[in-house]
Amino acid sequence: MHVRREVIHIHLPRRSTSKCDMVGMVIERDSVGEEGDDVVTPGEFLGEATEFVAGKGAYVSPNGRSVRACLTGRRKVTAAPPGSHDNRSTIEIVGHKAHGAVPQPGSIVIARVTKVMARNASADIMCVDSKAVKEKFSGIIRQQDVRATEIDKVDMYQSFRPGDIVRALVLSLGDARAYYLSTAKNELGVVSAQSISGGTMVPISWTEMQCPLTGQIEQRKVAKVD
Amino acid sequence: MDVDTRNMTPTNLIDKIVVPGDVVLDLTKMENQTIKLGSGLRQDYDCISVMQAGKLRLSKPNKYWVESSQKRYVPSLEDTVLGIVVEHRSDNFLVDIKAPNLAFLPVLAFEGGTRRNIPKFETGTLIYARVVKANGIMNPELSCTDASGKAAEFGQLKNGYMFETSTGLARMLLSSPTCPVLEALGKKISFETAVGFNGRVWVNASSPDDVILVSNAIMRSEFLSGTQQRIMAEKLLQRLEKV
Repeated sequence: MHVRREVIHIHLPRRSTSKCDMVGMVIERDSVGEEGDDVVTPGEFLGEATEFVAGKGAYVSPNGRSVRACLTGRRKVTAAPPGSHDNRSTIEIVGHKAHGAVPQPGSIVIARVTKVMARNASADIMCVDSKAVKEKFSGIIRQQDVRATEIDKVDMYQSFRPGDIVRALVLSLGDARAYYLSTAKNELGVVSAQSISGGTMVPISWTEMQCPLTGQIEQRKVAKVD
Repeated sequence: MDVDTRNMTPTNLIDKIVVPGDVVLDLTKMENQTIKLGSGLRQDYDCISVMQAGKLRLSKPNKYWVESSQKRYVPSLEDTVLGIVVEHRSDNFLVDIKAPNLAFLPVLAFEGGTRRNIPKFETGTLIYARVVKANGIMNPELSCTDASGKAAEFGQLKNGYMFETSTGLARMLLSSPTCPVLEALGKKISFETAVGFNGRVWVNASSPDDVILVSNAIMRSEFLSGTQQRIMAEKLLQRLEKV
């Protein structure tokens, strides 16, 4: 069994001393184990390529001999599935922020509308496939993606308002600024919205929601949630 | 004695000054009636209360709103406004109309407008236009044609002098019958004006003296009554005759 210990000195400057003392921290690393509590950083040696397969967050070094990390996180070793040709364990990095949900084309997201303009609406993506994201992503719902029929007659103001919660489908990674989202299905669209008077509205049809406090009806592209 | 409650106005605040928080209508006492609320009023469960200080107005049969005067303009549909071009984008001009957002004026929204004869408005051009889309969320949209597509006096205003006023004075100048100050001035001087609901007035006359006189008279007439306006206009016109 391969055991390798790495001793790392990390120097943290101590505050408010005139003599500029340094405090050192020593971390001991052990490359054998299921999941350590220790943190690995990019470039760090994880194991030999002959014994481990590089999983998510790890890569095989250019000389083909060692498996190294490419993310910051905790190391996790999973045994090889039985009956496969290769009986090497897989090493992957977990606990990284990017392992929080990331929208992919085809995933259903929950987003909050931030801005409504003449040809599109901007929304902040909050959940991906029922998992909350760790950092906000921007999405855009274009006029032609709001509904499936009569897409050139869509009035954005009658479909969304700022503050509405919508369920949408990710069409593509879009441009550098935002994902492209679509609500062109029966189960996509506004899930929850507040009226001008401040009450949470109740959907009454495919295109209307009603405020329980005042009885006023407002137009939205309503999602039919089962 | 049976009182016909359908016609009884439930409020006695019509044409009076109201302040935010005043309850003007009690909906429990008015059943089976449709009421239209304009700006400055909102529904608070069972009563209609005031949001903005001003004078409460009623337009028979059932439209209520609060008229107030301020420097800033809140765009509303079918208002005619005076805008200043700020930028020229590919498919619309960005126009400042003293509203919270810049307004869009599509390059094709002119009589006989096609891609080939897009008007060349530089930054600072004064435009007389009509509001065609105004909701609180998106940028308002303007048009330089009337509802049937004709030019109808909309478009660029050349020469003349533009000054800014409150929205209340602009509304008074546009009221019918003709505002007393304009009527008194019109008897002696020939001039043309364009008044925007957004608090901008443009005056043009044959000589600069006339332009200055008309502009000053309008600016001074905001808080004067009809007779006072006429007296003030006469006094100013006498100065012209002396010279």
